[in-house]
Parts: sequence; C-alpha cells; structure tokens
Amino acid sequence: MTGRPLLTVDTGNPTPPYEQLRRQLAELIQSAALAPGDRLPPLRQLAADLGLAVGTVARTYRELESAGLVSSRRGGGTRVLATAPSLSDSERQRLLRHHARAFIQQATLLGADKQQILSAITQALAT
Amino acid sequence: MAGALVLAAGACLAAAVAAAAWLAHARSPGTVPVDGPAVPAAVRQTAGFRLAGVIAGLAAGGAAAGQDALGRGLLLAGPVFGLCVLAGVVAGEISVRPAGGRTRTAAVEVRRVRDYLPRGLAAAVTSAAAVLAALAAATTATAGPDDLGRAGRVLLLSCGPDAQQTYGPWPGSFYTVPLAAVVAAGLITGGGALRVVIRRARTGADADTVAADDALRRRAARTITGACGILVALPLAGVCLVSAGALLSLSCRPAWFTYAGWALLALLILAVALMSWCAAVLLAPARAAARPAR
Repeated sequence: MTGRPLLTVDTGNPTPPYEQLRRQLAELIQSAALAPGDRLPPLRQLAADLGLAVGTVARTYRELESAGLVSSRRGGGTRVLATAPSLSDSERQRLLRHHARAFIQQATLLGADKQQILSAITQALAT
Repeated sequence: MAGALVLAAGACLAAAVAAAAWLAHARSPGTVPVDGPAVPAAVRQTAGFRLAGVIAGLAAGGAAAGQDALGRGLLLAGPVFGLCVLAGVVAGEISVRPAGGRTRTAAVEVRRVRDYLPRGLAAAVTSAAAVLAALAAATTATAGPDDLGRAGRVLLLSCGPDAQQTYGPWPGSFYTVPLAAVVAAGLITGGGALRVVIRRARTGADADTVAADDALRRRAARTITGACGILVALPLAGVCLVSAGALLSLSCRPAWFTYAGWALLALLILAVALMSWCAAVLLAPARAAARPAR
C-alpha cells in the first residue's frame, strides 16, 4: 500500500482544506499520476485519515466532478474520468518550477545553502 | 446414548482446546511487524480491548451455557462468546486515534476488506455458515413437538401404520430459532466490525507506520474471522452431534438414517477442526500474515 500518491492538508494554512485537497487531486489527475478509471479513496476513509469532516472531502469531490475530472456513482465510488483534461508540457513545466520554488523557499527558511539543497534533492531522488 | 453424547462432546472440546493450544504454541515468531515502535499505542490499545473481549466472551459464554437445562444455553454459548470478542475488536479499533498535528498526510488508496481478510480461514467460516444454515433448515423442517407440547424439540419417525418413535433432543425450531437469531446478529456484527477496521484512520503516513498499521488491520480482521468461526463452528458441532445421536438411536430407522448419522459425525470432526483453527487464531493473533495488502 506504499508508493501511492500522498495528500497533505495544512490546517494552519489560510486556504480551506477542501481547496488544498482539490488542487492536489486535480494535479495528480492532470499529470496522469492518477490514471483514468482509478478510484479515489472513499469519503469516510479519506476524511478519517486526514482528520477532516466528511463534508469537507465531499465538497472536494463535488468540485472535481464539476470540473469534469471525476465521476461519482452510488456503489461504484468516485473514479477518474477518461475525458479528464491532461496537462500540456508547458503547464507541466510551470507546475514543476512552482513546486521547486516552494521547496527552495522552505529549505532557505531552514538555513540550507545551495549545496545542501541540491544534496537533499539528490538523496530524495535516490530513495 | 445421552451419556455417550456428553462423553463425545467433552472429548471434542478437549481435542479442540488441545489442538488450539498446540497451534498457538507452534506459531512462527516475528511474522508481524506491529511490535515495532511505529504504532505502539495502537497495538497496546487494540490488544487490550481484544483480550477484554475474549475474557468477557468466556464469562458470558459460560454463563449462557448454564442458563437452560434443555440445552439451548449450551448451543448459544459459542455465538455469545463470538459476539463478545467482536465487541472487543470494534472497541479497540474505535479507540485508535489518527495522527494529529497541523499537517496531516494520507495516501490516495482504497482499502478493501478482502485485502486484509485471511482468505483460507474466511472461506472455511463462510462454508461452515452455509452448512449450518442448510443443516438447521433440514432439522427444523423434520422436528415435532415433545411430550409436553414444546414445538420443534424432538424427531418423530413413523415405524408403521400404528407405531411412532420419537427421539429428543433434536435441533428443531425450539433450538434453531434462537440460534439463527444470535448467529445472524453475530455475522452482521462481524461484517460491521470489518468495515470499522478498514475505515479507521491511519496512524501515520510514512512507509514503516503504514506497514505496521496494515499488519494491525490484518490482525484485527483475523481475530474477527476467528470469532465468527467460533460463532458458527460451535453450534454446528452441537447440531451435528445431537442430530447424529438421534438418527443413530432410533431402532426402526431406515438405512439412510445410518449413513446420514455417520456423515454428520464426519462433519462434526470438520467443525471441531475449524473450532481449533479459530481458537488458535484468537489465542495467537500475532500470527497475522505478513502478506502486504494490495
């Protein structure tokens, strides 16, 4: 059960938890980390794992459904749609740079220099 | 014949306990990673509640066994024990708290009951439940009232135009109706308990914690399956023993009664074997398979 994509919610972040989840799931779907037909975790399971209200996760799933990324069926769970729009190369590059900048910002706050940041990335890639 | 039945029941129970003790003793060590430092609190909590359920089940089952001089209590002792164990497992799982803190992490995964169930034991328990249902339906359909007018307590056999033989106890509606209610309640509770095990929050998201958490869930699912097994196998053994005794005791029985009686005794051995297996699972839950859930 390891090796699956991870979702993180920061309850101290001013962005509402449902929106944090929506962004991460949308990215996972558009980058094909979640393939068409893949099932999202059941509402209650994900809500319990993240310590959120079921309604919060339900709102995330509704937003994703409205955006045409997933489809919910009674008894069949919520699955990624085959017609979900995928990221263009330029959009993928833009997101990669965005996440890299966010990581560098956090690492700098920890007092790491350029060499230490590169070393951390190399180590993370190796595991 | 009644004395022989009691002797046989005692021998079966002793065999089951001895086999369970041997199986528990023979378990291979170190197959479960839940004893590591990753989820010690959850391990302690669930083990404590599970043990409390087993102890409460032994007390309640023992009390139930002595309740009815006509044998209904004895028949219901197994299901009562199983229900108490299930309650202990559910209480333990509910007591597990998710990892708190400002930042929470969860994997995009779908946890399914079949990923955690011990397949062989679950198949055996399901088969035993189906056999018990079929056997109880057959014995209920062929039962009649006893000399005090209590419906479904004896087997009636016509031995000629004017002769009739009766033999009791026979697992008719007098026994099978309360048995069906308790077993059905137990199996439904078992299904609900499995859902609780699957749905409860992860104790963390790093690989070691997830592996330990999965092992903890497999252990709980194994205990639930074992409790359901006792819940089904003990009454099945009782019904087999009493039915076989009745079929083989009637002097004017047709030939097929003899074959059916011996077939029921063979089934009794299988039920006792299943009881031993389930008792070993309950006594040695740490034998949860190291097989990773998919």
